[in-house]
Amino acid sequence: MPINVGLAHLSNGLLLTAVVIYAVAMLAFACDFAFGKKRAPAVARARVRELVSAKAAAGAADSAVVGGPVVEAEDGLADEPLADGPGADGSGPRGAEDGAAEAVRRAGRGPVGFWVTTAVALTCVGLALHSAGVLTRGLAVHRLPWGDMYEFVTALTCVAVAFFLGAMVRYRAYYMGLFVMASVVLVLGLAETVIYTPAGELPPALQSYWLAIHVTAMTLATGIFFVAAVTGVTYLVVDRHARRVAAGRPAGADGILRRLPGPAELDRLAYRTIVFGFPVWTFGVMAGAIWADYAWGSYWSWDPTETWAFITWVVYACFLHARATAGWRGRRAAVIQLTAFVCLLFNVLVVSLIIPGQHSYAGLH
Amino acid sequence: MTGLRIPPEAGAERVRAGGEWTAELADAADPQAQASARPARRFGVAGWLRWGWRQLTSMRTALILLFLLAVGSVPGSLLPQEGSNPEAVAQYYAAHPGLAPILARFSLFNVFGAPWFAAIYLLLFLSLVGCVLPRTVRMVGSARQPPPRAPRHLVRLPLSVSYRTAQPPEQALASAARLLSGKRFRVRAEADWVAAEKGYLREAGNLLFHIALLAVLVSIGLGGLYGYKANRLLVAGTSFSNTVTALDVFRPGRLVTPGDLQPFSLTLDSFSASYVMSGTLMGQPSAFNAALTYTSAPGGPSRRYVLTVNHPLVVDGVRVFLLGHGYAPEFRVTDGTGHVVLNGPVPFIPVETSGFTSEGAIKVPDASPQQLGFAGVFLPTTVDVGGRLASAFPAPLKPSVSLVSYAGNLGMNGGTSQSVYTLDTAGLHQLAVAPRPLTAGQSIQLPGHLGTLTYLGYRQWISLAITYDPGQFPALVSGIAVLGGLLLSFMVRRRRVFVRAGPGPAGETIIEVGGLSRSDASGGFEDEFSGLATEIRGVIGPPASPAPAPRGRPEEHRGDHEPPEGE
Repeated sequence: MPINVGLAHLSNGLLLTAVVIYAVAMLAFACDFAFGKKRAPAVARARVRELVSAKAAAGAADSAVVGGPVVEAEDGLADEPLADGPGADGSGPRGAEDGAAEAVRRAGRGPVGFWVTTAVALTCVGLALHSAGVLTRGLAVHRLPWGDMYEFVTALTCVAVAFFLGAMVRYRAYYMGLFVMASVVLVLGLAETVIYTPAGELPPALQSYWLAIHVTAMTLATGIFFVAAVTGVTYLVVDRHARRVAAGRPAGADGILRRLPGPAELDRLAYRTIVFGFPVWTFGVMAGAIWADYAWGSYWSWDPTETWAFITWVVYACFLHARATAGWRGRRAAVIQLTAFVCLLFNVLVVSLIIPGQHSYAGLH
Repeated sequence: MTGLRIPPEAGAERVRAGGEWTAELADAADPQAQASARPARRFGVAGWLRWGWRQLTSMRTALILLFLLAVGSVPGSLLPQEGSNPEAVAQYYAAHPGLAPILARFSLFNVFGAPWFAAIYLLLFLSLVGCVLPRTVRMVGSARQPPPRAPRHLVRLPLSVSYRTAQPPEQALASAARLLSGKRFRVRAEADWVAAEKGYLREAGNLLFHIALLAVLVSIGLGGLYGYKANRLLVAGTSFSNTVTALDVFRPGRLVTPGDLQPFSLTLDSFSASYVMSGTLMGQPSAFNAALTYTSAPGGPSRRYVLTVNHPLVVDGVRVFLLGHGYAPEFRVTDGTGHVVLNGPVPFIPVETSGFTSEGAIKVPDASPQQLGFAGVFLPTTVDVGGRLASAFPAPLKPSVSLVSYAGNLGMNGGTSQSVYTLDTAGLHQLAVAPRPLTAGQSIQLPGHLGTLTYLGYRQWISLAITYDPGQFPALVSGIAVLGGLLLSFMVRRRRVFVRAGPGPAGETIIEVGGLSRSDASGGFEDEFSGLATEIRGVIGPPASPAPAPRGRPEEHRGDHEPPEGE
């Protein structure tokens, strides 16, 4: 069937508009940081909580009491990092620690301000246009619109934004908006300018329903890991800031960082995102193996792209194990997670474009 | 960073509450602590062995081995590999004559078959077995075990709530136990407490995941021992049988003998490739179809099959794939003595994809008085670009072949194998023939009465990959089990809920409900706990009258349910 040129043009227009709207949403998220309602500083709030906790402890006999460590032990034992932050050595009064942790946790919460509402609305509009752009591209070429590199990137950023919106609603993680939107705008902007490929048919090797299954899973997982990576970077920044503050050293960017949740929450968000993405990635690699079996006669042939998908899988597995191992939690786990994402990016951007292999379908000549 | 904080006394409580719990904890979370907690003493051989085993099976070692596996795979993707691309390895040797032998010494051109790579994954799997086996034994053992004792102070658990009721403790506990077992918790009820546990499938899923990974490795091994891979180039109109001598490349598994090959034979009746005819992707292939006739055993009925890229032919468990295609110009060569010494197609190899320009060599060792050789270029769609001939399109719209003619010694008796697609011109001299592209039916008259070559036309050829892998189906089943185990271990959470009831100072009953989730990868235990606590309150009954009214629901600590806080 011939390419529908009109729809392909419509798709380009929709995607460009989406990038612009995302950029505005990003600005709105930034404005929230700059002009949004100021929250009480974490330390002051911690003191209030401490008093409350102390009072609650005193009246434990007859009033409803909720155990102190509720906040930071959400994941239970094995999955949760051992405390290694300030005041975590168990020496301080428990109520105070927990109160502080809770205060940090809640610093990014509370009623949603004007800028956040605007930003979320814009993100939704952008996502609608973005999805429509991906959809019309698919309609234009009569297949699933993730056949070449450009299509893959537009689709995976679409997944990332959708996943982020979901996570934002579920965890009220509005603070991540600026970081997610900034990276989405950057990636999508590069896709539109550097690797844009006009709509076209696929070579015979890609004409299989396993393309739909394999590449869809890979696109989904990449989008999810993208969100996890952004969270991971934020975690490292916040964690560093928290350490500097704890050590009494000067720490810049206080205004922005105070609005972010504590490292524990970011760590948990990243972990749960990866727990969501890892099975999808596993499934995608397996679907790829099945497809390879149909197409090339061998389900695993250590093609460079396969190898790097395997490396990515192994490094994410490292992350999952590291998070359950003493001495590897926190920063190290975050670094491992980011390493895994770098492997993924390397695979997408370098291996499939430069190293010859059976996956050389990027559509760039 | 914040995280789990177990105050010393609460930890001790938990040890008393359930020894098995702590053992699991130490196992999963901190093998070092466990190891270092052992008293220092002189190690005997057994001691060292036990120490080594403990080190090997520790999570930290597994983590390091995982990293090594990832790092070890990197050169396999960056350097050409013998298994997938032997030509590129040869090129690498030519380009880096100094470096290549050193790399080869470390098996870097065959990373995934290298002893050191095998060492990494075997150690990893040994470590896995060492980790999984004891856990399986423990899981089987704990399958019939009741939940551990309730800790003395439930408020110290990660999640807890307490309230007062007018119901007597026994009655309250009985109601709570009934509720919990109705929710499929495993319940242990004692005089003043109830312990309940749920989510044993998580551990089962975790084990299934790791055991299935082992099964994947075994399946791959099975394929490596009993499977084989082969390649065969087949010109349209010709046939071949699946025997070792008829195959161009044959890579048998370690335990495969030539007699094990399935005795099918197949003929390529015709091949067609279609291409995008316009637009930016002009020249890109859009479909390949190879019409085959095959018999699964000599004398058997012949069947037809249209082979396309994603649809292999399956004969007798063996799969035949369409890998590539090309042109085979047909020639007739008559030598100086008037004998026809060559008459048939000669496969040329495509050297580029946009115009499918193909190169090849015609070797005529039987020609006399001198052996003849021709280096040729086949152009499917011949165009003249500023005096140079090129091919503008991959389809044979205007085919022609250009040849350079040689005579002399082809060097085919030297014992060293040479490529059929290139000419070794060392013993040859070029003949003075005007370079002119030939179209079908045209001939070259060789000078010095050495003979005549006629270009008759072209046929197409396909290259086939023939694979037999008995480990394929086990690998698929194991792969599905890997995924199933992964999902179970991520989605099921193992959690314990404890209820204690005791008399309060004013004669009322104080109920404490505590919850603990060892693993909550996808989150949500807080919600479940607060729901459970509310239900337990519901079945236990109203509070004693003078008590301050407890809050409607136990306070929740998840942002998504949190009432907006006044700032």
